[in-house]
Amino acid sequence: MPAFFLIVIALFAFYLGYKFYSKYLAEKVYALDPNFKTPAHELRDGVDFVPTHKHVLLGHHFTSVAGAAPIVGPAIAVYWGWLPALVWVVLGTIFAAGVHDMGSIVVSARNRGQNIGTLSGKVVSARASTLFLLIIFFLLTLVNAVFGVVMAILFQSNPGAVIPALIVIPIAIFIGQWAYRLGRSIIIPSIIGLLLLYGAIPVGQAYPIYVDGLAELVGLSVQTTWIILIFAYTWIASRLPVWVLLQPRDYINGQQLLVALAVIFAGVLVGWDTIAAPAINEVAPNSPHWFPYLFITIACGAISGFHSLVASGTTSKQISNETESRFIGYGGALGEGALALAAILACTAGLGAAGDWSAAYSDFGAASGGALGHFVTGTGHFLSNLGIPATLGATFAAVVVITFAGTTMDTGVRLQRYILEEIAELAGIKALAGRVNLLTTLAVLIPLALALVPGGDSSGSKGFAFGRLWTLFGTTNQLTAGLALSIIGVWVLARNRNPLAALIPLVFLLFMTTWALILNLFAFFAKGDWLLLAMDAAIFVLAAWLAVEAFTAFNRERVANKTRNAKTAEQR
Amino acid sequence: MNVAARMPQGVAGDRLGARHQLILVREQDSQHSGSGCCGRLGESHTLLGGAADFSHSRARMEAVGEVYRALAERAPGLDLVVADPRNVVWLYPAVWRAARAHGMGLGATLRSMARAGSPIAVVLDGDTLFAGRLPATEQVVESVLGRLSQRFDA
Repeated sequence: MPAFFLIVIALFAFYLGYKFYSKYLAEKVYALDPNFKTPAHELRDGVDFVPTHKHVLLGHHFTSVAGAAPIVGPAIAVYWGWLPALVWVVLGTIFAAGVHDMGSIVVSARNRGQNIGTLSGKVVSARASTLFLLIIFFLLTLVNAVFGVVMAILFQSNPGAVIPALIVIPIAIFIGQWAYRLGRSIIIPSIIGLLLLYGAIPVGQAYPIYVDGLAELVGLSVQTTWIILIFAYTWIASRLPVWVLLQPRDYINGQQLLVALAVIFAGVLVGWDTIAAPAINEVAPNSPHWFPYLFITIACGAISGFHSLVASGTTSKQISNETESRFIGYGGALGEGALALAAILACTAGLGAAGDWSAAYSDFGAASGGALGHFVTGTGHFLSNLGIPATLGATFAAVVVITFAGTTMDTGVRLQRYILEEIAELAGIKALAGRVNLLTTLAVLIPLALALVPGGDSSGSKGFAFGRLWTLFGTTNQLTAGLALSIIGVWVLARNRNPLAALIPLVFLLFMTTWALILNLFAFFAKGDWLLLAMDAAIFVLAAWLAVEAFTAFNRERVANKTRNAKTAEQR
Repeated sequence: MNVAARMPQGVAGDRLGARHQLILVREQDSQHSGSGCCGRLGESHTLLGGAADFSHSRARMEAVGEVYRALAERAPGLDLVVADPRNVVWLYPAVWRAARAHGMGLGATLRSMARAGSPIAVVLDGDTLFAGRLPATEQVVESVLGRLSQRFDA
């Protein structure tokens, strides 16, 4: 089947979802009121609370949520065939992500722009705030671990990407000095920076960087050496003021995101490639079964709990009219779904046209360890449809993913610092308060340990470790989504409306997550992966805790509703 | 120098609102592009903290907030928009459209777009009045109102 048809089918489904389901949500579930005075108007201060045009806000919202994660999940999940991955991305986006992202904006806006962490304590229970912090702690640990591995794999398999990826750093530092110290315009230097970056791609190909010598010297594998170098870089990067590197790189990343999306879809349209992957793949024996693993392998791109932080952190404070949460929240979710769709196309049609799909996805270890490589190769082929040599195109795609992953790690380590400090404070541990270097070191060492779990090397004897790490990441991301959906569902129920739109994805996610966690427990035990086993067990406890909190909160509201309705009937 | 005061209030507001747009460009105090949703960092009012990391952005947000509030009061009909310069999909087409609609030449439009892409900028009807650094609030407000007054008189 031509890949173009998949685009048409998926986008048409998104259109239907927006036209009908989001309308149902807007009218029946969230009962959006055009006359409701949003926090942007009520608390209007021109700083945090600013009534903002819906198109401006959609741009802010989408660039805040889109990153590398919607690429990695689908790139692994097509192992089970393109059909399950596509169906989950489409249905997840329409029936879970849209509900979640839109609902997070609405509930936050109805609570004076409070964020989802605060709302969990207010709407669900006081304990839920602690649960939120713990889930985020595990999520960040896994985010940093998987992206460290992702970067290492890409550097190892695309040594031509090392120079372009490195050159971004001085470019961003120069832009930061230019804009923030000298107070000059940033857009032209960032466009020049992007062009320099692309100009460095052929240079990188001519002078590929290998660390084999260093690895041999220190007696480690090449991938392990890369992982350690990447985490060392992350420690340093996360100790720099954000305006030195992180913020100026935002501009380059934002432009890269748009360029990458544009060239992938243009490459599909021009090349008219067919999908080489089977609709349902006959997977190798002992592979994880798609049910339930598909639903946690693709988190971002189908539903991502972290979107609730963006939705409730900024968007809800700037939404001008409550009815626009449909356009921004639901629309933003569809945008993320489109990014996941691009990854599916690259890893099925693009990869298939460039080489042997079956060999690339021969088993789950190859599928997960090589997922990003497959995306890179597939995107390289799409670029070749546009007249750009495939090898250059592949390096371009590798650079996009590496710069995104690097930014995610930089931010993730900073965030983890705060989380560690807050958790230590809750636990009454004073020794960590204000100890930035120590906190940063802990925030780096914990995911580094996970990334170096034996078998983390895709060629390692224990296979699947990256895939397992990724699925653990997926479980924690789905738990964050579950917490947000609990808040949304309880809020809807408290208004005597039908909460099924939030309840069904909540139950579905909790079921899939806990099931996958249980399967993982057995798998890790059998393999003797004690660190992953401990991690999995801890996340399982959080999942059980969330299920109890959600059930208790729903039940409380159900009883309260009954009482209210009975009183109303009596009064009549 | 209150432009709105020099013009019939209702008319001034209505006419300004219908014809004039002021874009206040400033970065939000948070991580924006590339880290994706997994790297949500920033804002003083979240459980996740991070305000200190973005204190410089916060200072600019506060400065723009002052201008915003002053203009909201003195030119109530003006279409006030606050945008992040990293929101490239919206910002540059908006500046382009406004500049061309108000008769700016191609070169001037491109220069204005380039200047608008700063960590902080003030863009009136596609014309970037200030970029990079913001003078005192009163100076910005007077400058904007002065321009509006010229256009209104014209």
